[in-house]
Order: sequence, then structure tokens, then C-alpha cells
Amino acid sequence: MDSLPRLAVNQAGDTTSVSGLGSVLWWRRAWVKIGGTWTKVSDRATPAVTAIMAVVPFVALILIGVFLFKEAFPAIKVNGVNFLTHSKWSVGSEYANPIKKSGVSIPVGATYGAWPLVLGTLEASVLALIVAVPVSILSALVVVEKLSSRVSHWVGACLEILVGIPSVIYGLWGALTLGPFLSHHLGWVASHVPNVPILRFFRGPTYNGEGLLTAGVVLGIMIIPIVASTSRDLMRQVPQSLKDGGRALGMTDSEIALKIVWPWVKSGVVGATFLGLGRALGETMAVLMTSGAVLGTTAHSIFSNMNTIAATIVSQLDSAQTDGTGFAVRSLAELGCLLILITLVCNVGAKLLLRRFGTTTVAGATIAANE
Amino acid sequence: MDISTRAKLKDRPSGPQGALSDLVASDSKAVSVKKITGKFKSKTIIQGIDLDIADGSITAIVGPSGCGKSTFLRSINRMNDRIPGWSLEGEISVFGQDIYGPDTDLLSLRRRVGMVFQRPNPFPMSIEENISCGIKAHHLAPRSHIKEIVRARLEEVGLWKAVSGRLKESPFQLSGGQQQLLCLARALAVQPEILLLDEPTSSLDPISTQQVEELLREFVPELTIVIVTHNLAQAKRVADSVAFFMNGTLVEFGTATEIFEDPRFPETKRYISGSFG
Repeated sequence: MDSLPRLAVNQAGDTTSVSGLGSVLWWRRAWVKIGGTWTKVSDRATPAVTAIMAVVPFVALILIGVFLFKEAFPAIKVNGVNFLTHSKWSVGSEYANPIKKSGVSIPVGATYGAWPLVLGTLEASVLALIVAVPVSILSALVVVEKLSSRVSHWVGACLEILVGIPSVIYGLWGALTLGPFLSHHLGWVASHVPNVPILRFFRGPTYNGEGLLTAGVVLGIMIIPIVASTSRDLMRQVPQSLKDGGRALGMTDSEIALKIVWPWVKSGVVGATFLGLGRALGETMAVLMTSGAVLGTTAHSIFSNMNTIAATIVSQLDSAQTDGTGFAVRSLAELGCLLILITLVCNVGAKLLLRRFGTTTVAGATIAANE
Repeated sequence: MDISTRAKLKDRPSGPQGALSDLVASDSKAVSVKKITGKFKSKTIIQGIDLDIADGSITAIVGPSGCGKSTFLRSINRMNDRIPGWSLEGEISVFGQDIYGPDTDLLSLRRRVGMVFQRPNPFPMSIEENISCGIKAHHLAPRSHIKEIVRARLEEVGLWKAVSGRLKESPFQLSGGQQQLLCLARALAVQPEILLLDEPTSSLDPISTQQVEELLREFVPELTIVIVTHNLAQAKRVADSVAFFMNGTLVEFGTATEIFEDPRFPETKRYISGSFG
């Protein structure tokens, strides 16, 4: 630029109203001289503004990652591998003088092991998927293939409302209704499960209903709408001509669902499942309210109290802030990094899986183009 | 039907056959349609259709767009059943059995009355599975024989050479014509007695079209074929008898020779001569 941009309003001689909206939007009619040519400001600005907007999410992601890592770094240094393998979670003594470890000052007796939380997060999420995926796929199938368009419209509306319900409501329902219900009705079964490996995990006292099972089921119910509505949209895209083809061949509805609809949608359903998994991994409040939020121990049965990374961050933040050395907060930040990492691994896993299943999608696109 | 009989039939003269009365002897009706009227909600789509289709013949159904040809065709294997608001009065029998009767097994009806659609619609599974899925669904052959049957059906439609090396691959990479042949082979794999074709060549190139037409002539008389077509030349080339539909009614039904050379009704004459449609 050889000269500073000069600004000229209404350079085109346009003298329409300068009051009201016109005066607010003056810049739309403004021209600017850049490098010897007059250019409309809005023409120059639009690409720049859109570019900035496009970069915002990326920058936000980087910033969150960088600052979280920066916050967590001292804790990563001190806790080391123990963070992943040990179970004890203790902020240490508030009163004794802090000690130095790897150049970081920490309270006496502070020790952080996140293994139960990592395991708990994965267990609850997997349980949620076990609950949600079959229900979601079957309900999507019923909505698309069996219900009249009016009923399926209403079911769809309900699914969308379910997505919007705040997680604290799910948590409340889980803690007050589902937990006690499961505890009451599964108590007898749970005490009669044989005490052998694997099955042992389903044995034991059901306590008051707070624990892995309740948390997993609540999480599952929370992600059903996500997986189901995505699956439903995918199933709607299966060309009618394919289903007609199956029907004309004398296939039953279930054969059509299994052999024609499923191959068509499976890659998308896998994607939707990972979307749901992402929600389950990060869900905080509902888990906090239904899991029993115990620290320092892994669940030894499906009825045991447990905890997840996200719920721990919330429940421990308050007490962590009383740690004068700030080490407890740094350890929670490390926990946050771990959660991001797990979510990232799941996302990449999903991408890889989708790539493996990719051929069907390509085929879908081919047919769609032909339609 | 085995391949060797098929091969012999290749020598059979093709094209228009004798008089209609010879074709439709009372005991050789594949499809007998009596006074059917089909409605979508209150709108009548087909009305008062009476038609007998001779066993082992090729019947072409022609007529202008929206005249109910496809709807009629789809009533023969009850594909319209699922359409909300669809109702049908009258009687359609397939080999003497009322297919809208209470004891009709829909799945076995559709096995006996196969269908090929306007656009190729291979299933999202391998080429081999496209053929075998119907056989498995109807338990028509033991698992050990399936490979053989797949090969036989693909050979029958002249697709074997093109796909023998990639049976496990997706059918979507085949050309449109090859996909349609695959769909034809898939329909044949469940051993139908009647084959309904809904404008099977309208999305194909001329060479593939010719290929399909030649195949159809080879399939009769083991198979009864009903083909809906927009293409009058095609009807002339492949059909033994022709039904001309207009505004949901059957205007004229006769041998291909009768319809094309000496139509009785002025509408038919005008349509055949290309005045409308």
C-alpha cells in the first residue's frame, strides 16, 4: 500500500437517507482508496471477515489445548506415569509446609492417580453405548420403515426435545428414580449371580442404586437421541428403489433391514455412535449425580460406586482451589488434558473406522448421483 | 430351468408370434386379470382392466406417461400394497391362484413373480451376494451349491466374463448396463415363473438395451415376461402381444402384429403412429 487508505462516504454521490439504519450501515456505501484504486469497503471486508470467522474455531481449539497443557505441565512432570497407573487421589496436607518435587512445590502427602477415573470414564461410556446403540438403531428403523409419516414426525420431535433436556435433569431422574428402581429390582438377581470370573462383575450388593450401572444407563439414555436421530436421517436416505428391489425379490422386512438398509447406513451409524461416545465421555453432571462419585477406587462390580474424569474435575475443583501451592488445580488440568486425549483418540478411531467402511458410502454417492 | 435348455432355445425364432387366441388357451394363462380398478385415495389410477397373459409369452404394455402401466404392473406382484391410500378391486390370478386372496403368501408370490426396475438397483453388497441373497432368503439351494448358481445366472445374462474376477467387489463400479444385467440375474436367481419388467432399458445405452432385449427372447417360453415400455420399437421387437393403456384403461390388447399393423381403435392408431405420447 503506497498511501494510507482514504475514506470517502457516498463517493458515488448517493445521498439517500443518512438517518436510521442507513447511518448505521454507512460503511456499506463507503469506498476506500487502496494502492490508487477505489474499492468498496464491504467488498474488501467480506473475505477478511469470513476468513477471521472461519479461523476462530481452530484458534479456540489451539488456545484451549495450549493453555490447558501449560497449566497441567508441572503436574505432568511431578505425577509422571503414576498418574495413569495409580489409584490414590489426595490433595495432601493443608497445614504442613509444602515440599519441592521436580522443582514444583506440592503439599506434603499430595498424590494423584487417575487410573480409576480413566477406567470409570471408559466403563460408563461403553455401558452407555451398549444401552444406546441397539435401542437407537432399532427405533430409527421402526420410525423410518414401520410408522406412518405423521407418527414418525412426532417421534422425531420427541427425539429432538430429548437432545435439548439439560443433563442435570437426566442426573436428577437417575439419582431419584432410576437408581433406586434398579437397586430394588436387580438386588435379588445381583446377589445370585455366580461368583466366577467375568460374571462376578455383575454380582454384589446394589447399595442405594448409585453406581456404574445407573450412570451408564443414564448416559445411554442421554445419547440415544443423538444416535437415533442421526441413524434415522441416514435410513431415510436409503433409496426406495433398493428397498423395492428387496421386496420384489420376496425378502422379509427384517432381511431388507439387515441386508440392504444396514450395509447402506452402517458407516454413518458408526459415525453417529462415536458422536454419542464423545458426549458420554465428556458428560459431567448426570454422572456426578448418579455414579456415587467415589475417589480412589475402581468399580469392582457393575453396582459399585465409581467416578469419571469429567465428574471428578467438577467435584474436586472447589477443594483443589484451597490448595495454596496450586498443585491440585494443576492436577485437575492434567485430568482435563487426559480427557481431551481420550476424546481425540476416539475421534481418530472413528475416522479410521469410517475410512474402512468407506466403500459403501462411495457407492451410496454413486447411486444418489444416478437417481 | 437349466442352462442347456436355455441354450437350445436361442434358435427359436423371435418376434411377433401367431394370433392372440392361440397364445391364450384357457389352461395356459400365467396371469389373469379380471375387472381390476386401482385407486390412490379417491383418485382412480387404473380402471376396469381385463387381461389374460399367456404362459411363456412376452407381453408389452405400452401407453403414454401416467396411463397406469407401471401401477398395473406393480399390482401383479402386489408392490403397491405398501403405498398408503392404495386400494384395488377386482381379481388377479397367477397360474389360477387369486393373489389378493387371504391365503396368499406374499413372499412366495414375489419369488414366483420377479421384477426388474427402471433404474438398476443393485444392493449394497458384493456382486456375488447380490445374486445369492435371494436364493438364501428363500432357501432355494444348499449353501454348497450357491457359488455354482451364481455363476450360472451370471453366465445366463452374459455378465460372467466381465465380473468373474471381482465377485467379491461392489456392484456399483459396474456400468449402468452391467448393473441392470446383474439385477436381471438377481431376479432370475430365485427361479421366478413370471418376470415383470418396468421400463428396464429406459436408463441404458442402445447396446445394453439390445443385450437385454435379446436375453428376454431367450427366456421365453420357460418364463412369462410382462414388460412396460415407452419404446414402441422395443415392444415391436420383443413382444408376442401388446396391451395399449391410456388414461388408466386398457384400450386394446392383441398380438404385436395386430397392434402394430392393424390396430382396431383410433387411439391406438394415433399412439402407434406417434401422434401423441
